[in-house]
Amino acid sequence: MPLLEVKDLRKSFGETEVLKGVSFTLEGGEVLSIIGASGGGKTTLLRCLNFLETPDSGEILVNGERVFYIDEQTGKPVTVPGVQNIMGLVFQQFNLFPQYSVKENLTLAPILHAKSDKAKYRQNKKEIHDEIEQQADEMLEMVGLSEKADKYPCFLSGGQQQRVAIARALMLSPEVLCFDEPTSSLDPELTGEVLKVIKDLKSPERAMVVVTHELEFARAVSDKVIFMADGVIDEMGTPDEVLVNPKSEKTIAFLNVPKGY
Amino acid sequence: MGFWEVTQSLIAGLGNTCLLFALTLVLALPLGLVISFGSMSKFKPLAYLVKVFVWIIRGVPLMLQVIIIYYVPGMMFGTPILSRFSAVVVAFVINYACYFSEIYRGGIESIPKGQYEAGKVLGLTRTQVFFKIVLMQVVKRIMAPMSNEVITLVKDTALARVIMIVEIIQAAQNFAAYGLMWPLFYTAVFYLAFVGILTLLFGYLEKKLDYYKA
Repeated sequence: MPLLEVKDLRKSFGETEVLKGVSFTLEGGEVLSIIGASGGGKTTLLRCLNFLETPDSGEILVNGERVFYIDEQTGKPVTVPGVQNIMGLVFQQFNLFPQYSVKENLTLAPILHAKSDKAKYRQNKKEIHDEIEQQADEMLEMVGLSEKADKYPCFLSGGQQQRVAIARALMLSPEVLCFDEPTSSLDPELTGEVLKVIKDLKSPERAMVVVTHELEFARAVSDKVIFMADGVIDEMGTPDEVLVNPKSEKTIAFLNVPKGY
Repeated sequence: MGFWEVTQSLIAGLGNTCLLFALTLVLALPLGLVISFGSMSKFKPLAYLVKVFVWIIRGVPLMLQVIIIYYVPGMMFGTPILSRFSAVVVAFVINYACYFSEIYRGGIESIPKGQYEAGKVLGLTRTQVFFKIVLMQVVKRIMAPMSNEVITLVKDTALARVIMIVEIIQAAQNFAAYGLMWPLFYTAVFYLAFVGILTLLFGYLEKKLDYYKA
């Protein structure tokens, strides 16, 4: 059974149909890269997966269970509560919380989640905080930013901020970690450090979905590549199939463009 | 009428000034937040209703509002419902809450959407996102316009004398009956001191919030 299954997802903004029926599956531990020109629906798809947008129709299944669907009787979209925790998202613009230190950015959500179980939180306050802080230290070490724990995001470079954002997303141990053009707002010399961290995150523990323009990276790290154009999956397959020997004309045209000028 | 006698009277009047100032702030700051939520409501009829209310409150002189709130219930029911001081407090709180609400709204709407989305994908509720992530950033952004309003409030308290509240200006004016004008000018010293302290306080707060840039 696939970890994530997306069936015929559709989404319009006003008159513009951005997703025109997108379906794919993702196995646990797999890395899926989504490539394609701007306006093709990549980011909207990712936002739908993370419930930042509500699809107009279609289904999302996690481990075979429907987490998003259209209720047949009412015709209204239903999002099963709590499913947000399955997904994690790293934004193009990092979106760190500026008033919190790097470490506080990591611990904020886990602490608030722990507090929601009031009785348990009150009893084990210290243990819970220690555990979360220890986990935050481990995550920061993983992204190579242990020494920045007490700094504020505004004093970090873009690459460092994005690594903090990745660590923050990992704190909740998402089963599917999504990246929305994680290096697109970085200076070229900073993309490497972020891509390396993402590459190192590849593990059987989590699947990853990466919307990216970094084709070399997509080829190196992905198990599966989707090329999206005009709101549909134009081509899907292994990195070699899509990036090296593409069959669709649109894919061929897209892959040739950067070399053309 | 000596200098110390006048000073004592003015300080007594300053008591009412300070009380009105403090009560207005304590009550109008949270009420303004509630009103700003109303004006930003996705339920459009409520948003329009609140906007019309803010228009009326900001459009009518505060002095007139004080008079209306004190006298109109009395005219309708034959007996005043609110004491003079409560009437002034109610009028000030509503008026300032409306001004604050617009400052809050500006601040809240200036926070990037990404902050809300980051909170949401971390599984936080809307309330948690607002109070743990957004509010603090709003506070930093609205410090300057807020200090303006708060300083204006110090001097607006003088309007309370329109229904015979003896605040500092009224206390000084009472001496005019004895042919003394200087106590009125003397009140400026108190206002300047009051506003001076507030300016220092806001400067301190802004500095405190300057530990990060956003």
